[in-house]
Amino acid sequence: MAETILQKIVERGHYKFVDRVDSWQDAVRLSTESLVKTGYVSENYYKQIVDCIEKYGPYVVFDHYIAMPHSSEGAEGAKKTGIGFMRVKEDVDFGKDEDGEQKVARLLFTLAAKDPGEHMDNIQQLMGIFCNEPLIDALLEANTPEDILAAEAKYPPEEE
Amino acid sequence: MAKMDNKKFMVCCANGAGSSLMMKMTLQKVLTKLDIKPATIHHCSLSEGKTASQNYDVVLCARNFANMFDDAKKKGTVVIGLKNIMSAPEMEQAMKDADLLD
Repeated sequence: MAETILQKIVERGHYKFVDRVDSWQDAVRLSTESLVKTGYVSENYYKQIVDCIEKYGPYVVFDHYIAMPHSSEGAEGAKKTGIGFMRVKEDVDFGKDEDGEQKVARLLFTLAAKDPGEHMDNIQQLMGIFCNEPLIDALLEANTPEDILAAEAKYPPEEE
Repeated sequence: MAKMDNKKFMVCCANGAGSSLMMKMTLQKVLTKLDIKPATIHHCSLSEGKTASQNYDVVLCARNFANMFDDAKKKGTVVIGLKNIMSAPEMEQAMKDADLLD
């Protein structure tokens, strides 16, 4: 079987574990740090994501403390296709959505998209992860890359 | 033939790269389940979607973007705003509510 995206995240060092952040903007920036270090995105890439969320609201925040910050396909600053994973212990407050509901996240899956095919595959796999509640619960408790792999081994993606 | 067969669908998100793809997958799941064969499912950004939407039968987007398609709505396009773009049950229900299903 091909590598899963969580395996790729671990292998490429695209992860970060922090206790708290100063702001959601800071969270987005930190989540791209590992992508910057490995040449997947430029240092300023996170600003595009921040601009987008400021413009359109926190629609990148889903249920179960999940956020998927991203910019456009082929965005300037995205050099390779990958995902920056970050787990924050305390809630990251992304503000209220249009219904006045507070949007908070503790798991960030920040997308960089260069290759459309690989990006599509990433999205598909992410969707499987986001819908896999036991796995998400385990990832919320993860403190090390080994924890990420153990979580996935314990709660493998459902075969469609 | 089912009511929704051969319809043109458009899924939209802010930049056409993340949530719109997820919505597309949710939509494919729902349509397969209901045995509906769409003519096309196009995913794109809001800026493209706003001008192109009137050429589609059904537009799906996150709820906070739904009012951006009021013009297309006036011309007969069905606009569906979703709270959870990954929820197939919600999407199916929304289609039912919009009287799209048989």
